[in-house]
Amino acid sequence: MRRVAIAGLVLLVLSASVIAGCGGSSESSSGSADLTLWTGFTDRELGVMKDVIADFEKTHPDIHVKVVGGISDDKIVAAIRGGNAPDVAHSFDAGAYTGAYCSNGAWIDLADYMKQDGLSDDVFPEVPRQYSQFEGTRCALPMLADVYGLYYNKDLLAKAGIDSPPQTVSQLMDDAKKLTERNPDGSLKVVGLDPFDGFYENVAAHWAPQWGVDWVDESGKSNLAAQPGWADMLRWQKELIDWYGYDNLVRWQASAGDEFSAQNAFERGKLAMNLDGEWRVAFVQSEHPELNFGTAPLPVDDAQPDLYGSGYTSGSIIGIPKTSGHKDEAWQLLKYLATDTGALVKMTNGIRNVPTTTDALESPDVKPDGAFNIFLDIFGNPNTRTTPITLVGSANQDLVDAFVTKYQAGKVDDLEGGLADLDQQIDAQLEAAGGAQVP
Amino acid sequence: MTSATAPAQSPALVRRKPPAHVRRRRLLVAVADHSLLIVAALVFLAPFVFIVLTAFMTNEQALSPDLWPHPFRVQNFADVFSEAPLWRYALNSLIYGGLATLFLLASSIPVAYALAKLRWRGREAAFLIVLVAMLLPPQVTVIPVYVLWAKLHLVGSLWPLILPNLLGDAFSIFLLRQFFLTIPDEYLDAARVDGCGEFRILTTVVLRLTKPAIAAVALFSFLFCFNDFFGPLLYTGESPDNWTLSVGLAQFRTIHQVQWNLTMAATLIVIAPVVLLFFFAQRAFVEGVTLTGVKG
Amino acid sequence: MSRAAEAKPLPAARSLDRSSARRRAAWRRRGQVLAFMSPWLLGFTIFFGYPLVMTAYYSFTHYDLLSPPKWVGLANYKYLFTGDQRIWPAVSNTLWIIAVAVPLNAIFAFGVALMLSRARRGIGFFRTVFYLPALVPPVAATLGFVYLLNPGTGPVNNLLRHLGLPDPLWFDSPTWSKPSLVLLGLWGVGNLMIIFLAAVIDVPRHLYESAELDGAGAWQSMRWVTLPTISPVILFAVVIGVIEGLQYFTQAYVASTIAAGSAASATEGANSLGYPLDSTLFYPVLLYQQGFRYFNMGYASAMAMLLLAVAFAVTVIIVRNSRRWVHYQAPAIR
Repeated sequence: MRRVAIAGLVLLVLSASVIAGCGGSSESSSGSADLTLWTGFTDRELGVMKDVIADFEKTHPDIHVKVVGGISDDKIVAAIRGGNAPDVAHSFDAGAYTGAYCSNGAWIDLADYMKQDGLSDDVFPEVPRQYSQFEGTRCALPMLADVYGLYYNKDLLAKAGIDSPPQTVSQLMDDAKKLTERNPDGSLKVVGLDPFDGFYENVAAHWAPQWGVDWVDESGKSNLAAQPGWADMLRWQKELIDWYGYDNLVRWQASAGDEFSAQNAFERGKLAMNLDGEWRVAFVQSEHPELNFGTAPLPVDDAQPDLYGSGYTSGSIIGIPKTSGHKDEAWQLLKYLATDTGALVKMTNGIRNVPTTTDALESPDVKPDGAFNIFLDIFGNPNTRTTPITLVGSANQDLVDAFVTKYQAGKVDDLEGGLADLDQQIDAQLEAAGGAQVP
Repeated sequence: MTSATAPAQSPALVRRKPPAHVRRRRLLVAVADHSLLIVAALVFLAPFVFIVLTAFMTNEQALSPDLWPHPFRVQNFADVFSEAPLWRYALNSLIYGGLATLFLLASSIPVAYALAKLRWRGREAAFLIVLVAMLLPPQVTVIPVYVLWAKLHLVGSLWPLILPNLLGDAFSIFLLRQFFLTIPDEYLDAARVDGCGEFRILTTVVLRLTKPAIAAVALFSFLFCFNDFFGPLLYTGESPDNWTLSVGLAQFRTIHQVQWNLTMAATLIVIAPVVLLFFFAQRAFVEGVTLTGVKG
Repeated sequence: MSRAAEAKPLPAARSLDRSSARRRAAWRRRGQVLAFMSPWLLGFTIFFGYPLVMTAYYSFTHYDLLSPPKWVGLANYKYLFTGDQRIWPAVSNTLWIIAVAVPLNAIFAFGVALMLSRARRGIGFFRTVFYLPALVPPVAATLGFVYLLNPGTGPVNNLLRHLGLPDPLWFDSPTWSKPSLVLLGLWGVGNLMIIFLAAVIDVPRHLYESAELDGAGAWQSMRWVTLPTISPVILFAVVIGVIEGLQYFTQAYVASTIAAGSAASATEGANSLGYPLDSTLFYPVLLYQQGFRYFNMGYASAMAMLLLAVAFAVTVIIVRNSRRWVHYQAPAIR
């Protein structure tokens, strides 16, 4: 009996010490403040962010910031609900969370702070300005944006006799077919382009701008069926997938290597062309410097050639969870990260994301890089668009992607009918959550 | 049989050898039985074999059709620990399992005793309720319980999983009650006549008589906690410091890429303690499982 | 406390003392019972009774843990029964896995146990081999199987291709994903197998002998002797199987997220649940996703109420019907 009791006590003590180190911002002594910042960055990118934070601490000696990396949006959401959120949170996906955070005050309204410091949201370009607020409430500031374009393997293109990257989707399909190599048993060795929904960055939202289609009409209702571009896009994707052979593609994907690892199929030369974001430039340079690659805007619908040069953009947002105990200091950090030109330029140069203030975009300190500059151009293109901010975040996109996956697998006979159905589902889901989409 | 003096008596019963065709048939049947067993055993062992082999491969090899690791990378096991804090996860699993089992035994034994050996009105109804609680899926109550723990700011730690065991666990209560029922009343009555209070009877007489049963319940409880995924996912999913081995293993791929060789090595590391435990406590395992089924 | 000794009647003056003594004893006993039962009484109230009521309450609200619950009447139920397109896959998948896995597991476990019971040599070794996979933690086992059944590079498909047989996409195929999960489950029937083994061994020999005398062959003695005698274990297997099926979560979660791995990196975890094409979306998985990823706690509570109703109904049906075919053995005369 006694032995059991002692064992129990030991376990109790052990556990107390382990569990004692869990979550939340620490108390601050008078004068100084200890802030916690959660970010999704890891490894190399996290290092750059910590560098930038170190600069902040130099100019604000009484604020100490603890940076925690690798935090996903799920964690932030769970932490706010569980009551132990950080002082400043960085979310990768404006589309998914701005609506939720702003509408129920999970992230505080920044209007007062901004007025107090004379900060107007004009410093941000239009699109980032849009996706960091919801129905007039600004609870977040944009910090670094993502832009999507086409990456291509110059060596493979040369080998196939293609001298410049495709500009229309029919050229894209032809080139993809030419670049594909198969093994003797018929399985795929090198894939030209993989438009499988869910593979790496292939989701409906990233392809939609290439056909110039929107998600909602002016009243906020989903109108996918009414725009023929949607059906065209899906048919284009399916045609290419069927050419590879659906099963062959799945098998190839099963060993394609994780997107954010050094085994990335494009980086290893197993995927000739890929839809990807601007951050890939830095990844390739650090993981596979031997790769001879180029970037270009994504090809567009043959019928709308003036769209060429545009693409999809979305970005990160940062804000202050309502549970923070040091909102004033947190605001200082927030303002710095989102608007300080020096900080943004440093992050752009290090992480290779797109800076989100016009000052930073035009700053001469941004290191030139042919591959990366394409994305700056895409970002500035007037046709570049983003997805609507809704109360249910990106749940509408989930529905669309689920439908696209089904269609690509050949389970949908009536595409137009399916799209109309999809519109109804999206609206129903939004209604069930008690809101409407912001066009 | 070898008695030399036997011949005078009636001949000893001699086992007549069954006719050849019957013998052959019996042999075939026996081989058939055993061969099926052998094939089945091979099929059951095959996954283990592949997992072990892959755990020693390089990453490229793991993605290739090769069957035998070449070279033999023992380093994988060390790499696993530098990729993910498996020690920490193991400690968390240990804390969760150990504390939960301790608390569970302390709280469930008296309850089971009351349900088995004390006489009171409503005893059978209470037992029925315990049964019902045991049979219903946990998803039915998980949401308000989660809200409760969130309000107490304990989400993110393992306490929401450990603390409820202080207040009993339906399955353990059920099992223990079945075991306690088998204790002959005479022992207890004798103790009562001697003036023992019920609590002393419990601790001195009952516990001593049912040690193997209690050991089995403890074993099951610990195993359940070790294998538990839903619970730790729910409460510590977003706090990697507090992950248990089950959650850590499931997330091993997400954070650290699809390195199947390391993933299989990590899988082995997670399987190992349970297998070792089994070999040391084989009897308790088998008896416990059998008793569960027979009494259940 | 033996009352026999106190049965002798005593003068009236003393009887008052006795009855109050008896009452005190009765109270003390009740207090004891209360003390012994208190952990469970508290536990039941806090972790079962109260949550059950609250789940019912939440099912009529919109609740996301950030703001207080908002009453919406039957809106959640309306969406559950008419609006949510994923409910039907969730329900049918769960029913499928119960209908397929429970009988298969039972038959397989029984079959192996039968073989083991008739083996003469190496029973211990074989028993260990069959039991060991059941010990493997579910997450580890699932990971192992996803690797083994990798459609492109996994050992199983390599072997199949070598033999010239078709190589299905296993966890990446909507038709094969659930059978893959069933295979995973069959690998782990060790627990059930041990129970069946004990029961089969326990069948009294004299029953077999009398059956043989009556001219019964192998199949007949199994049908009329073995099966009825072990019917309580079969009931146990069915009940446990159904309960586990209604809670099926871990293997589906791990398999779908891992298999979706490279095919779903663009979106974080939650969306790959049910991969591929919702074929591994089981009811508990959807409930988790709605409640703890999307934080539609009101809606998830409505789902939980439905699950409660079904679990209750199913358990009652099974137990009621069991009386017809389960024979509880009279204590054996050995």
